[in-house]
Amino acid sequence: MTQMVAEAVRQAGVNFMDSVATLLPRILITAAIVAVGWVIAWALKWAVRWILIWSRFNHGCERIGVSAVLKTADLPAPDILVSLIVFWLVWVGFLLSGVDVLGFTALEGMVRNFAVFVPRLLVAIVILVLGVVCANFAWRATLIAAVNARVPSPRVVSGAVRALVLILAGAMALDQIALARTIVLTAFAIAFGAVMLGLAIAFGVGGGGIARRILDHWFPEHPPSEREEFRHL
Amino acid sequence: MDESLLSDDLLRQLVATGHVDILVGVPTLNNASTVVDVVRAAQAGIGKYFPRARALIFNADTGSDDGTPTLVRDATTDDTGTVSASKPLRTTHRITTPYHGLPGKSSAMRMIFAVADLLSADAVVALDPNVTSVTPDWIPALVSPVLDGRADLVAPRYPRAVADAPLVTQLVRPLVRAAYGWTLYEPLMGEFGCSRQFATHCLDVSTWGTAMTPDGVDLWLATEALAKGFRPAQAAVGPRLVGPSRKRPALPDVFQQVLDAVCACLELHDGYWLMRGQADAVPCFGTMGGAVDIGPRPDVAGMAVAFARDVAALHPVLATILSGPTLAGVTLASAAPSRLRYDDDLWAATVFEFVLAYHRAVMTREHVTRTLLPLYLGRTAAFLLEHASSGPATVDAALESLCLAFERAKPSAAARWKKV
Repeated sequence: MTQMVAEAVRQAGVNFMDSVATLLPRILITAAIVAVGWVIAWALKWAVRWILIWSRFNHGCERIGVSAVLKTADLPAPDILVSLIVFWLVWVGFLLSGVDVLGFTALEGMVRNFAVFVPRLLVAIVILVLGVVCANFAWRATLIAAVNARVPSPRVVSGAVRALVLILAGAMALDQIALARTIVLTAFAIAFGAVMLGLAIAFGVGGGGIARRILDHWFPEHPPSEREEFRHL
Repeated sequence: MDESLLSDDLLRQLVATGHVDILVGVPTLNNASTVVDVVRAAQAGIGKYFPRARALIFNADTGSDDGTPTLVRDATTDDTGTVSASKPLRTTHRITTPYHGLPGKSSAMRMIFAVADLLSADAVVALDPNVTSVTPDWIPALVSPVLDGRADLVAPRYPRAVADAPLVTQLVRPLVRAAYGWTLYEPLMGEFGCSRQFATHCLDVSTWGTAMTPDGVDLWLATEALAKGFRPAQAAVGPRLVGPSRKRPALPDVFQQVLDAVCACLELHDGYWLMRGQADAVPCFGTMGGAVDIGPRPDVAGMAVAFARDVAALHPVLATILSGPTLAGVTLASAAPSRLRYDDDLWAATVFEFVLAYHRAVMTREHVTRTLLPLYLGRTAAFLLEHASSGPATVDAALESLCLAFERAKPSAAARWKKV
């Protein structure tokens, strides 16, 4: 009996030592991959940041309105944000490669999935950035045109245009990374339809006068208005 | 010269005409209701003041569908009853021709200059076919300084009432004067006279016909003369009254075209104007008449209220164009519509900062120009409020003071322009 127990313990010890002997090099390799990955990610982060600073990336982002959006969301400057994204993407890639080396069955395929996910994430980010640019352009164009056309509440009108474009871009970006796709699409369709229907009803019921004024302004029965009669040249 | 500008048929007519001393160019596009009087005035002016001159009235029509070319061809001075005693001793030729290239005044002016070059005209006069106040006296006023060798470009100088053409008096005139360093009163000269040398120079300039000139050819001609060392002059003519026929675009479009033209010229000539100092006087020939109060007065009180509303609405856009102190000044100026004040220095700073924003392209250039429009209307309202009961002398002094404010603001703007 005692001998059997001792044999079992010895076998367990041998198994444990075998496991350790098998796993330890993997752990060391994983640690090395993670450490090297961190160094590479850190170096890439600074390289990207330096290139962005040199190419006046922040200035460009300011012009297209991305900086203002980031500021509103309490996010760092565009060059810092992009370099951070690069850092985390590279480091997480190395991290998952390291974990893959460990050979845990539950974690198998994560690297492959991550490799599939990264391009989609990048496309989603591009969609978001383009959405912000388009939203800001549409907002500014609407605001200036509404002010010059004497449309009532120009900031409300232009703000609504910007919000719609941003929501559309956000929904497209979420769809791209396939995050809760069904919920996003359904919620977007319901919300967009509800907003449009609500606006149409509200404008039709409560804004008849405004609509008449706008139409009168755009298509005057007795042109021109006093402002237009006055000759500026 | 680009000979493709002139068709074979036109060349035949021009060869038959031969050398002319004076070429009167009339670029037209649907000006049937006003062009006859302009042609008659030109013909009468030649007959009365240059009876021995060989002259040609040349109409370049860019696609009228209201019979304008026929009216020009058939217009005679005989039925006016006012010029029968002043017939020219030589035939005043008249040619009207359609222009099939790019539509617009720019193309028509280029054709007129090409004809002047071909016929070796000593002086060229361009007349706006839509101006109803042209008299025979305008011809010698615009031609004589050129024929006498005293000038290469003669711009008109109209007597302006306080509310007349504020886009010129409040914006274009002071800006062009401060930038180019010449006291040119009408940079957007609708009519002008020029020498053949200047016309030939313009034909050789490669920028003609590019995107910058179609809507701002008059301004480009004026600034090109200043920047390239041609001798400018001004001729006192009567008030400028525009006929009702022409379908003008809406104010935002006109404003954008004018500001686009000004900024395009500034970019084209920055090698010249950045070096210029205080403005030199452009000689003015003739005696200025009294201003005529033209057209309806604007609703100044309404403009002041709209200014306050527009500045508040546009604040986030203005913040990307204007510096902090200027934006604060504009915001303060718009705060009390009933006591609206938009002083000269603030307006000069505003305009130069918009020009710099346009040059740096901080946003779409169309957005920059259209954002200035509400501020321009506010400044115009403030000026009209302040000078509602001022006499002509006071108004002239105020406009001179505005020009000086622009001249004071120029060095700082020029320094920032160079940094871009």
